[in-house]
Parts: sequence; structure tokens; C-alpha cells
Amino acid sequence: MSDTAIIQIRNLSKSYGSKLVLKHLSLDVFPGQVIGYIGPNGAGKSTTVKILTGLIPDFEGEVLVNGISMAHDPQEIKKLIGYVPENAEIYDVLTPMEYLEFIGKLYGMEEAALRDRAKKLLTAFGLFMNADDRMDTFSKGMKQKVLLIAGIIHNPKIIILDEPLSGLDANAVIMIKELIMRLSQEGKTIFYCSHMMDVVEKVAHRILLINKGEIIADGTFESLKQNHSDTLEKIFSKLTGRGDSATETDAIINAFD
Amino acid sequence: MDKIFLRFVTWLSPVLEKTGVDTTQLYEILKVKLLMDNRRPNAMFAARRAVKNDGSVKNPWIITFSTMLIGLFMSLVLFLNTGPYLAQTLYFSIFMVMMALTLISDFTTVLIDVRDQFILMPRPVNDRTIAVSRILHITIYVLRLALLQGLSGMVMIGFIDGILAVPLFFVQVLEATFLSIFMVNIIYLVLMKFVSPQKFKDIISYFQVGFSILIFATYYLLPKLINISALENISLLSHWWAFTLPPVWITALNELLMHPGRSGLVTGILAVAGFTVPLIGLWFVAKVLAPGFNRRLAIISTSEGNSDSALNTKKAGRFSVINSLSRILAPDPVENAGFKITWKLAARTREFKMKVYPAFAYVPIYFVYFALNSKGENVSDRFSRMQSGHTYIFLMYMCSFILSAILMNISMSSKYKSAWVYYAMPIKEPGKILSGMYKAVLTLYFLPFCLAMGAVIVSVWGPGTINDIILAFLVSTIYGMLIALFMVKGLPFSRPVVAKQGGGRIITSLIMLVFIGGIGFVHYFLMRSELLIWILIAPFLLITWLMFHFYKKQTWDNIELSDV
Repeated sequence: MSDTAIIQIRNLSKSYGSKLVLKHLSLDVFPGQVIGYIGPNGAGKSTTVKILTGLIPDFEGEVLVNGISMAHDPQEIKKLIGYVPENAEIYDVLTPMEYLEFIGKLYGMEEAALRDRAKKLLTAFGLFMNADDRMDTFSKGMKQKVLLIAGIIHNPKIIILDEPLSGLDANAVIMIKELIMRLSQEGKTIFYCSHMMDVVEKVAHRILLINKGEIIADGTFESLKQNHSDTLEKIFSKLTGRGDSATETDAIINAFD
Repeated sequence: MDKIFLRFVTWLSPVLEKTGVDTTQLYEILKVKLLMDNRRPNAMFAARRAVKNDGSVKNPWIITFSTMLIGLFMSLVLFLNTGPYLAQTLYFSIFMVMMALTLISDFTTVLIDVRDQFILMPRPVNDRTIAVSRILHITIYVLRLALLQGLSGMVMIGFIDGILAVPLFFVQVLEATFLSIFMVNIIYLVLMKFVSPQKFKDIISYFQVGFSILIFATYYLLPKLINISALENISLLSHWWAFTLPPVWITALNELLMHPGRSGLVTGILAVAGFTVPLIGLWFVAKVLAPGFNRRLAIISTSEGNSDSALNTKKAGRFSVINSLSRILAPDPVENAGFKITWKLAARTREFKMKVYPAFAYVPIYFVYFALNSKGENVSDRFSRMQSGHTYIFLMYMCSFILSAILMNISMSSKYKSAWVYYAMPIKEPGKILSGMYKAVLTLYFLPFCLAMGAVIVSVWGPGTINDIILAFLVSTIYGMLIALFMVKGLPFSRPVVAKQGGGRIITSLIMLVFIGGIGFVHYFLMRSELLIWILIAPFLLITWLMFHFYKKQTWDNIELSDV
């Protein structure tokens, strides 16, 4: 791993109205790292991701990607990033081929190279037969695969994945997990957001736990285990203040009486 | 056609490039947007297409063709051989109304495309490119519509005023288009100012419903109402208000340049207004309205704007009415669930409303059409003839058309998969849900409509009609139940919209139509005896009750399941 951070976040704050969702967040991410970014609903996870991908242009603090400031040149940064959004928005009246061509051209790729790569990726993801079918007939898993391809088609340095496994079957999940390892060996930086603790536990080199707009834990799974508990799930619930789940289940059981 | 526009955009490239637009990206975005437009089903014809049950027609040629056809009909107005102004003023009035309605009903969904936020924003596309692509997309859409709609007018005017009028007419079409855009923007702005974003989408869909009703009504009623020969003697400019109508200004352009002999200073001033006002309007839209507009659109597309606590508290009061009503009408818990779910989904599902609401207007329109069709010197004479007859029987039975329109759509939904709950629950008698559904349809839609129609009938034909109204209502209820029994094979909102109608079903529906028509005729013959009608109400009430009893007993075997 190199010494200069590829993503530098300094004092990042963001508020919606009077509600502060990110509180002076600071963070360095180094090339080749796989970051597992976890936190309860409403902790500020997706806000961080949206700022990193340029979806939210107004924020306080500084975000540097590859030495470029987000405030000054977001377009240069967007070229370096591949993003797989959580909500699976896609122009589904298009075919995968048309969609990937469109996305690739927005990144300024050459048509011939783009078509070639799109075909190879579609084949690799098992979608070659459906390359020219409209996506409105696709299952959730198939659309998710297209979104994944669209996220890596321009060979980005940083890949931001937000719940990338939703809708995928077990084989595809295994494939994606392996792919994440391989991409990181190639020197790609991966920012992985998920609620599935067992996957994060396995793929992430470094786990960041965010709660109420602040990072409350940062380290490898091993180091987190030593200080807190033995599974990521337990660490998570302990640190986010939900340590006592027994009272909640009690309340549920009592509701039947 | 799209290729021509795209070529045009490439010509503009050098200019755009200087303003900081990435022209390759712009080209790609426009290409994809236009492609998607072509594949998107057209909202304008959605309501009628649904009747034919082929939701998959997405051929751009059909839309192109139908737009041109409407343009052709419109251009026939130009041949009204009258004094100055009238023909063209009429033409441009229709043109602008059609344009504005199409823009509102069809293009709003494109404007409020939330997906752009997640698909375009994370890519290295700068704001200016996105803004320009949006403006050009709208421009292309509007120009395509304007040209298709105005094409036959341009040809016609060549025959009427000579070849030189054609390019002028092109300019006139553009001016009318600009004015329509201005109007639409004002409407949007007013709407967005006064209603919540969620309501906004609802109102847009009401526009669509209104649009299809308007076309239907114009088709049937306009020829009956307008006496062409009377029109020809109207001198438009003798009314002061005519000067305030924008189509008059646009027409003045033609008057001034094509018929300089008969135009004076007034025409000159109007023509100047016709040329400059639309341009000023367009400038106003671009400079003043558009910036705030985009900001408000952003609010619509995010869900944050949707929560409105004041609205929720108000709704709570209305629900209690439904609750108590449902407890009286559907006491059984399962039936009650069917009643309430139908009531709420029917009232809130936009696509259902869009398909069914036009039917409410068709019945009165049909009726007025038939009434006007009767012989008579003028409208009031026809009316008095109608009053002395018994056509109201026909009107009452026609109400059953609404019932069948509702029932044919009630089991369909694009979110039919949510209906898995019915299959997952231990429901022994699904007939109870169906009867709850039918009761909800009756109380929510059919009964209020019949009451309104009844009120009209009583006020026109007198209180002697009340027994007929009650009997006809009962017969329609029975007819509806037959439809529900034989044609509606699904639970409420549980089936995909693409329903294939087998030949058997068509025959069934024909038999039932004959059945209700037959009863209607018998009713018509028996109605001389008031007492007999009153007496007949009793057995029909009994039959209705028995039918409900039987309907409730429907088992899972009678219900077609759809895979969820």
C-alpha cells in the first residue's frame, strides 16, 4: 500500500435544515484498501457516499480524492470513481448493451473499446444472452448485475458499492466477494457499504462504523474484536447503543399477552 | 425524425462547446432520452388503449400517425370560408389547447425523472451539460409535436392562401407553440405554489383524464352543437374581447402579410403583438420562471417533500367515516378487509383512476349526444321533446356501463405482486373478500353516481321517475354481480394489467349485455303502470340479496391465481 491517501476527508459536515447528519468527519483511505462502511439506518452512511460521488455538491469541510478537491473539480473526481447505487435506479426501457454504451460514453470511452468491454463483462456476468433484451423484463438480480458492470466499465480507481449484493443469488454473491478481493489486489480502492455484517467481516480490510454522524470505530476486524466482542454483529450493536436487545424482544413477546 | 434533430444539435456543437458544454456527452444523453421517449407508452392514449387491453404498444409510428391525424382534423377548420380572422383563430386556439394539454399530460413524467439524479449525477457530466440537455430535450419534444401537429395545416394553407403563406404559417405555428409553453409554465407554477408535491402528481393525472374526456366529448358533441352556417356570419373583431385572445394576434400575422388589402392599423398592431409576445413569453420562461421551476422540480423528485403532517391529521377524520360505513355494510372481518382495501386502493391508485374516471363522463356525454340527435328545430325544442319521452330509462341503464368499467379494472394493478398476502393468509372463503370488494365499488362509485344521475332525472322528468330509478339501480347491481361472477376472476388489485381476453369471455359479456338490454326493454314497456314498478322492486331486492349471498360463497376454485 502506498503512503498517500487516495481519499482524504477533513472536517466534513452536512446538515439538512437544522439536523446535523455528519459531524466533522475526518478520514483517510489508502489505495488498495477495502473499506467496510457500516452503521445503523440514518447514521449518515449514504450521505457520506453521496458526497463522495458528487451527488450532494454543497457540504462543509474538505474532500480530496487523488489530490483533487471535490469543491473545485468534481468532474475529474467522478472520472476516477465507479458507483453502484443502493436504490437500483436504471433506465429500464433500454437494453443492457445500450445502457452500458451510454454510461461508457459519458465517461468518454471510445466506442469500439467500449462495446468490446461491455460484451466481455456481460458475458462474464452471465448476461450475454440478454444483452439485447430490454431491462424492464429483468429480475432484480439481473438489473443489479448491469448496475455493477456500469460501475466498473470505465476501470475506475475507486469503486463505491452500496448494498451491491441485493437480489443476487448465492453464486453471484460468491463471485462478487471474490471480485472485490481481486480488484483490491489490482490496486483499486473499494468503499463497501452494507448492512450485512458477515460479508463486511469477510471482505473488508478496514471497518468504519458510523453512528449519528460520527465515526465511532475504525480498524481491522481483528483489532475491533480485541477491544469489543467476537462477531461484527455484536460489535455493531454494542457500539451503536443497542447492546441490550433483550428488552426489545421482551416487549415484542409481551405484546401478545 | 430524431436523427434530424440530433444532426441539428451536432451543428450547434461549436457554439455550445464555447459555453462549457461537453458536446459528445450532450449528444449521447439526448440520443438515449429520445430513444426512451419512443419506447415509453404515450400517456395521451393510455386511457383508451387500456380498454383494448394491449398495453404493450409502444410503436413511435402509431403516436406519430395519430398526432398527424389530429393535426389533419384540426386543419380542416382552416377551410371555413368566412370573413377575416375566424378560421385561423379557431385553428390556433385548438392548436394551443392541444399543445398545452399534451405537454402537461405527457411530458411531465419525463420532466420529473428521478432516475437522472442517480444515473447522470455520479458520472463526470457537468451541470451545464445536464441543463442544456434538458432544455434541448424539451425543445426537440415540443418541436416534433408542433411540426407533426401543424404539418397538414401548413399544406392546407398553401391551397388556401398560396405558397407564400406556408413559411409564414410555419412561423405562426412556432409562435403558437411558444405561447403554449408559456401557458404551461404558468399552470405548473401556480400548481406547485398551491399544492404539495404528492398532490401535484395527482393533479397531473386528472389533467390526463380530463384530456381524454375532452377529446371524446369534442368528437361526439361538437358537430351537433356547432352550426357551421351560423359560424360563418360571426364577425370576430366586432367583439372587444376578441382583441385579448392570443390566437387572434397570431392570426393577425397572416392577415397583415397575406391579405394586406383588408387589414388596417388594428391588424398591424395585433400582428406585432402576435410576433413579439410569444418571444417575450419564451424569454420570461427562460430567465424568470425556469430557475425556480427546476428547484421546485427537485423537491418533487425527492421524497422529503412528501411528508405533510397537517395532511395526515385531516385524513384521520375521513377514515373514521369509512370505518363506520364499512362496519355497517360488511360486518364480517374478512369481508370488511376486502371492503376497506378496495375502497382505499381504488381511491389512491392513480392508474385505476385514470382508466375508470373517464367512464363517468362518457355516460352523460353519450346521453347528451342521443338527446341532441333527436329531431327538433333548435336545442330547446329538442329538450322539450326529450322531456315528454322516456329516454331516462335508457340513461339509468347506461349507468351500468360504469359498473362494468370499474369491475373490469378492479382486479388489475401494476403492483399486483403485493397481492401475495391474500394467498398467504388462511382465507377459507375468498368470496367474502370479493363481496366486500363489490360493496365498496357500489358505495364508493356506483351509488353516488346513480344518486347524482337520479337527481338530474327527477329534476327533468319529475318525481314519478323515482320507482324506475330504484328498479334500474337494482337491475344494474345484479348485472354488475353477474359481471363480477363471470368476468372478474381475481381478487382486488391482484392481477397484472396485460390481460388477454379469450373469445369465451367476449361471448359472456355479450350475453350479459343482451340480458340487461332485455330487462331494460321490459322495464320500458311496463313503466306505464307505476304500481307494477313499485311492486317489482321487492322481488328484485330479494334477487340482489340472494346474489350477494351466493357471491360470498365463492371458493378458491373460482378465482384465477396469478403468480406472485
